[in-house]
Amino acid sequence: MLRLASHILFLLHQLIRESHPRSRTLCFTGLALALIVLGIGRPTAAQLPAPDEATYRIAKQLNCPTCAGRNLADCPTETCAQWKAEIKAQLDAGKSAQEVLDYFQARFGTTVLQEPPKTGVTAPLWAAPVGAALVFLVAAGVVMWRTAGRNRAVSLASAGRSEDPFVAALEDEVRRDE
Amino acid sequence: MRGKPLIIVGALIAIAAIAGVFVIALNLVSQQGARPKPGTPAPDFTLMLYPGYRAGLPEQIRLSDLRGNVVVMNFWASWCVECAKEADALEAVYRRYKDRGVVFLGVDYLDTEAPALAYLKQYNVTYPNGLDVQQHIARAYRITGVPETFFIDRDGIVREVIVAPLTEAQLTAKIEMLLAE
Repeated sequence: MLRLASHILFLLHQLIRESHPRSRTLCFTGLALALIVLGIGRPTAAQLPAPDEATYRIAKQLNCPTCAGRNLADCPTETCAQWKAEIKAQLDAGKSAQEVLDYFQARFGTTVLQEPPKTGVTAPLWAAPVGAALVFLVAAGVVMWRTAGRNRAVSLASAGRSEDPFVAALEDEVRRDE
Repeated sequence: MRGKPLIIVGALIAIAAIAGVFVIALNLVSQQGARPKPGTPAPDFTLMLYPGYRAGLPEQIRLSDLRGNVVVMNFWASWCVECAKEADALEAVYRRYKDRGVVFLGVDYLDTEAPALAYLKQYNVTYPNGLDVQQHIARAYRITGVPETFFIDRDGIVREVIVAPLTEAQLTAKIEMLLAE
């Protein structure tokens, strides 16, 4: 919302600079509206997510403990219902989202997290795709560079050669004699 | 010809990367351990018992500290429907054998505290119970779900594993067999 309002402000500023005096009034009205949008866009206490929404957001970051690969938030099992109730209870008790996630990680291990930490034994697994992509890019670059060099050499070698095969053969003969 | 060393280096890097991922995967799998077969030593562990569910044992109990007793170790969870079917039987048999060198241990699997304690209260459970933090015990015993019950003899050897709800008659028969040895 803030980004949108900023874009509107920028566009209005451009318009004001290049517009006629009559249309400036319109632009100022738009500017005022954008400012209102900016004001509305700011988070206020009344707009903070409701507890259930906050529970859902945290649950989205956790795995269902009993259904392999399933998100806690979307899982209808009894286990997940209990876990979601635990999240809500902890949020209601004043814990932050991170504290709730830390609680689940401490109790059930890193496998409970949708996104495992990028440290320890799992770190190479995160680094491997990046490393593989880099190796691929370097290899592709080297191959392309070498192919381009070879093509250049071929085109230089064939430069000035006649398209007529008899003439070309004659030219080759002359070159050999030289 | 100059391209060949580059291809070899690239291939070596690719092989090393694949081997690295393979080693990590193997490491993760090996962390889970293998299910102890009957006749093999029961993997040792520490269980933090829930307050009010210690039955005279310390807050933290090690399996090896229970050597000399027959141990009935039951994996359960409050969300487990099948576990509820054997809850009364476990408690009844525990009360009958608790003073005869038999220790019951409830290992709570993938549970949160409030529902777990509510479950224990609902089924009038009094034998020692605690949460399997980070599923270390479940991994060591490689359980496939709940309920699962391990019968461990006085020497700390796994004698039987039951992957189903138990009845009083089954529990009694298995405990009597181990006590008779």
